Amino acid sequence: MATNMDRRRNNAPSGGTHAPVFARTLREPEYLQTLRPTRARGQNELRRIYLQTGIVPSASGSAYLEIPSSTSISSSTLIKPASSLKIVASIQGPKPLPRSAPFSPSLLLTTTVKFAPFATRQRRGYIRDSTERDLGVHLETALRGVIIGERWPKSGVEVVLTILEGDEDGWWGDAHASGSGWGLLNVLAGCITVASAAITDAGIDCVDMVCGGVAALVRNPDSKDGKDLIKILDPCPVEHRDIVAACAVGYLASRDEVTEIWMKGDVGSDPDALIEGATHASVGSLSVVKEVLLESLQAKFQKQIENSQGAQKRKAEDVEMTG
Amino acid sequence: MPPQAALVNLSPAELSFLRSTLSQTPPLRLDVTKGPRDFRSMRAEYDVLPSANGSARIALEDGTEALVGVKAEVEKTPQTPVLGEQDDVDMSNGDEHSDGKGQGQNAWVQVGVDVPGFRDDDALPVFLASMLAESLLASGELKDRLYINRRFHWKLYIDILLLSPPLSYPLGLLSMTTHLALLTTHIPSLKSEKDEDPLFDDDWDAASPLYPKSTSKSSARDKPPVIILAIAVGPNIIFDPAKEELAVADAVLAIACTTSSSSSTGAKIVSIRTIDPPSHLTPPAVPNSMNSATGGTAPDSSAQALTMREMLATSGVWTPPRGGMKRGLVSQVTKMVVEKGGVAEEIIGALAGIETG
Repeated sequence: MATNMDRRRNNAPSGGTHAPVFARTLREPEYLQTLRPTRARGQNELRRIYLQTGIVPSASGSAYLEIPSSTSISSSTLIKPASSLKIVASIQGPKPLPRSAPFSPSLLLTTTVKFAPFATRQRRGYIRDSTERDLGVHLETALRGVIIGERWPKSGVEVVLTILEGDEDGWWGDAHASGSGWGLLNVLAGCITVASAAITDAGIDCVDMVCGGVAALVRNPDSKDGKDLIKILDPCPVEHRDIVAACAVGYLASRDEVTEIWMKGDVGSDPDALIEGATHASVGSLSVVKEVLLESLQAKFQKQIENSQGAQKRKAEDVEMTG
Repeated sequence: MPPQAALVNLSPAELSFLRSTLSQTPPLRLDVTKGPRDFRSMRAEYDVLPSANGSARIALEDGTEALVGVKAEVEKTPQTPVLGEQDDVDMSNGDEHSDGKGQGQNAWVQVGVDVPGFRDDDALPVFLASMLAESLLASGELKDRLYINRRFHWKLYIDILLLSPPLSYPLGLLSMTTHLALLTTHIPSLKSEKDEDPLFDDDWDAASPLYPKSTSKSSARDKPPVIILAIAVGPNIIFDPAKEELAVADAVLAIACTTSSSSSTGAKIVSIRTIDPPSHLTPPAVPNSMNSATGGTAPDSSAQALTMREMLATSGVWTPPRGGMKRGLVSQVTKMVVEKGGVAEEIIGALAGIETG
């Protein structure tokens, strides 16, 4: 952590910043297990998605995505039981490259993914760490295949994503879950969806809308030996004790192609089912993105439509007068 | 902007030629003696670093060379407060917790990648390190083996050095070197019992391998994962691409797999990632019909240039590929890797051959 220290600021302590649970106040040790959130949705049911475009006026395109947690927050404890996802994306450009930069035949894409320091239970520093850079590489892979870069030689575009609230890797009571990285897959899928909406808002030529989706294999908690696995779409890692494998994809629905696959865990020999589940999840988020973009487009051109209608009416009146 | 990895300076005409040779059936590779499933030849040796627990060096025929050292250190496990009945430190002869099943933590394995010409926080080393680390940790068996007792564990440092500049995409080479180093890693055998402060046998011959050899012939030995790079060019799938082949690929897939004892196929997958093909950054060609120097007519406006360019799609003039990878192609690649006698089994078998013979 010492290398990641920002020396120009007064830094907060480098530990976690979660609220303490005093062991004395708990009557019985099983009490904590009653706080464990469980999945209330069906296996193929996604969480609700809130999306809005054009929220940063100074950027050429921007979008905000929010996936609220489905479990209701109980008032008896200070600790939030489940995590939610809140991401802001803004696009700068396409703008000309600086004179000092070497010639580039296509659009130079730069993706920056940054967690806000308060985004997760474990505090993040101000300087990007390796997981954030890794997410940036994944997002770049997902977007590079979609943007038609050859139409903008000698120019660059910056995609900047700030994660205000990120999905956790597991329930806070499970020690083994921290650092497993299951929450990052959800974050990546959200990043892909929101970045794609922002790019469309910026009006950059794309071959299709790319959308993110996640599917996971979890151990069935109801089974006796815990051997049988079930496939779930849009997993919230907090709600599952044992995630065996998970997959995030960036899916182009109309071309039936994937630009990005990130799969990890003990997948076995046949990853097709997991990839298919993730594409189903991404089709779900695509329907939301389409609605939102259509809405924002209508709002943007409402005035123009009204103006043109007004002009037509005047013209029609003119015709009446001469006729 | 970080420097691009393994960007080749090929003209559009050369790219177009390469692509057409690679997409015919059977594909004609840059090295014409190789089939689509053949890997480049390599020289490999292990136990090259006397002060490391395990080490390996692999040099490919094109001059890329990687060195991996694995070191293990004893570290104290931070104690988490336990609710309810606090059980004492166990010095008795009871054999609970002795195998460390499910006790391992992800932080006990640390992977560092050093590529010349790149900073530690550049995209390429970060991507390589995280892919190697997550494929190692996927099965959970490695980290459980690092468990000593409730108070101590091994911390495994895997330091990966690319000795030459990255002439081709180095993921496959680095993972094969890491595989060989981990296969030959030995950890001193434990003399102390239960939750005592660990004391080790100083006889190096008594050290136990990190990936133990199987006792029975029937069950396959648990092996570290190996990452296989595959590219798709048109309908063809080509493994272990050279730098120039990578430059015309439609899609690049990195598949990490390991041997499996349970399933019927030869290997199981522990991680898959797509890699952005460098072909997206190649310059598009100017066809004769749009070039006034060769008898064509230059477009008057940018809109006209756009339309003329879109109509070129299948004419053989080089245009950078667009879109992603068909889902059917992904499953085809994974099937070729994991099937019995597939690419994964071949590679893991070849690397095991280096160690035993």
